Amino acid sequence: MGLAARVHQVSKSYGAGAGEVRALDGVTVGIRRGEFTAIMGPSGSGKSTLMHIMAGLDAPSAGRAWIGDTEITGLSDLELTILRRRRVGFVFQAFNLVPTLDALGNIMLPFDLDGRRPSALETARIEGLVESLGLATRLRHRPHELSGGQQQRVAIARALATAPDLVFADEPTGNLDSRSSREVLALLRAASVEHGQSIAMVTHDPVAAAHADRVLFLGDGRIVADKPRQSAEEISAYMLAAERGRDVDAEVSA
Amino acid sequence: MSVATTAIGSRSPVPARLRERGARLRERGMGASVLVSAISTAFGVILISATGYLAAILRADPYLGASGTLAVVLGFLTVVLVGVAVYVAAIVTANTFSTVVAGRTRRIALLRLIGSSARAQRAAIAREGLIVGAVGASVGLLAGTVLALAGVAVAGPALGVRDIAYDVIQPVLLAPTVIVAGTTWAAAWAGSRRVLTVTPLQALGNSAEASREELARRSGRNAVAITLFTAGALLLAAGIAIGLLSPVGVLVAFAGGILSFTGIVLGAALVMPPALRLVGRAFGRNAVARLAAENALRHPERSSRMAIGVVMGVTLVTMFAVAMESAKVVMTAAAGGQLPDELAAVLDTFAGVMMGLVGVSAVIAAVGLVNLLTLGVVQRRNELGLLRALGLSTGQVRLVVLLEAAHITVTSVVVGVILGVAYGWAGAQSVLGSVAANPHHEKAGLVWPAIPVPVVLVIVAATALLTLVAAVVPTRLATRVSPVAALAV
Repeated sequence: MGLAARVHQVSKSYGAGAGEVRALDGVTVGIRRGEFTAIMGPSGSGKSTLMHIMAGLDAPSAGRAWIGDTEITGLSDLELTILRRRRVGFVFQAFNLVPTLDALGNIMLPFDLDGRRPSALETARIEGLVESLGLATRLRHRPHELSGGQQQRVAIARALATAPDLVFADEPTGNLDSRSSREVLALLRAASVEHGQSIAMVTHDPVAAAHADRVLFLGDGRIVADKPRQSAEEISAYMLAAERGRDVDAEVSA
Repeated sequence: MSVATTAIGSRSPVPARLRERGARLRERGMGASVLVSAISTAFGVILISATGYLAAILRADPYLGASGTLAVVLGFLTVVLVGVAVYVAAIVTANTFSTVVAGRTRRIALLRLIGSSARAQRAAIAREGLIVGAVGASVGLLAGTVLALAGVAVAGPALGVRDIAYDVIQPVLLAPTVIVAGTTWAAAWAGSRRVLTVTPLQALGNSAEASREELARRSGRNAVAITLFTAGALLLAAGIAIGLLSPVGVLVAFAGGILSFTGIVLGAALVMPPALRLVGRAFGRNAVARLAAENALRHPERSSRMAIGVVMGVTLVTMFAVAMESAKVVMTAAAGGQLPDELAAVLDTFAGVMMGLVGVSAVIAAVGLVNLLTLGVVQRRNELGLLRALGLSTGQVRLVVLLEAAHITVTSVVVGVILGVAYGWAGAQSVLGSVAANPHHEKAGLVWPAIPVPVVLVIVAATALLTLVAAVVPTRLATRVSPVAALAV
């Protein structure tokens, strides 16, 4: 049905009793194949938790989750690990690269962890990625010899190298200057448009979300809006309105 | 405003500072420094008591009492053995503090940002070293004294010398205590040098642990190390040559041995990284092996210092074993193929006792190794979380930590056994070169080093055990890292 990943009635709570915090509250949503989806929401809205559950990094308290057609709820830690290794790509805000490995070593890590060499097709893909990301002269550099933007490009090359079902990007521009941010977002967008790569990006930055085909808004552990491609101004306007609405709600309930 | 001032004014700043210091001393890693200070102090106290007691027995003996030579030799051995133990303990402490400081970079930077000077920060850490050293040394003094009292009580009847009056509790026992506390303080000071390089800006940036500690260019220290080693090696050669004419050669060789080994220890950062690289390559090229092998070279100075501690222990044990075995071979030949049982027993006992005594240094080095691996895992939480997210299974995490431990132990043992065989042979050769090697009174000439296989097997087995034990705690910590928690910025 063309979904790269989906969750059904997923809830996640931390703590118990009076101190219980509900991070997710019965969320049902699918990430469509080949699309670049942004997941937005204020701090504490549950957007990171949703991503962690969809990526097989965390288990939900209730509900079910799939990557492609594979149900991941109830898989063992080892099964989840191998699934992430082969079928999910990650780009984080920081700590993306292993400091003791050079850029090429980091890009090849998913294959090395799997104990296999990339096929001819995969080798060609990696070479193409290295070329288009402008990393050809940096492959033997270690992370500390690269700029933040370059490090993030290495992380993107690694995430795309295995052509995973889904790439998760968690605030990928959070630590970058605006020029590097634009570059990284354009690269993610190109991967989606040109190679049909499914991407889910968690962000709180309207400018970043404006690069996506679809914008999901989370609030208090629920999906509160699901919109097609938007401009940064439209996204900001929506978020401001939502924030005012919450303030009004708070005043009314108080 | 007035409420706030009263609230602040009513609170004395001292308890807060003490609380802070208490929290810091409970920080992971400090326990190891307390433990090694305690072990080396107790070791010193027990050795001083044991040699003192032996000397008292000898004085009571009407035939041996007149000669003070044996007492002098025992005293000298005590100083050397305790010296080695204290030195290894100081290495462990310096490493612990340098690792702890690396982990505290962010907090130190924050305090610098608020206005604390780098010197004040470093002094605070050195004070922690003094406290750690004082606590450890006091515990060691107490434990050592109790053990010595018990030992004297048991030894008297066992040796059949009832009427020896020996006071265990003597002011001299304070010597190892004070020395250990002092060296721990000094080691903490040496290990905290990195504090001076922390800039206030590091509190603002998203600075993770420095990706690679640059090997500081210590050309001065390296020059001293190379000079000592060269001079020592020349003296060793001279000792061996003189030994072909007279057993006096051993004294020259002994000086050469001390000089050259000190050179190797000081130049650890020159010697160990190539050896570590070589052994790391032998692990293979797969991801797990590479991740493990690269970790030892991430902080080359720390790994080298730690490895050299184990090297010292292994070298000394091997040296005594090889020297004794070589001596036995020559004496057996001199005696016409059969060594008198009594003499063989004396030689074996002496070698056994000496190996046991230098083994204490190996134990101290082992504590340091466990600590190094544990702190390494604690400070790599983010990285382990990233690797788990990317598909490193818990089984692979276990293997990485185990290989990391094996990397240092295997390298140290290989280097230690090679050095031990060389020094043991040099010692035996310089004593035995001129003695009669057969009943016809021909000189032994050059003797082939005899390597006692059982001792080497014991060392290998101990290494394997040390590797497994050293990996237990870090493995437990490493497999508990959840990718979600580690990646939460």
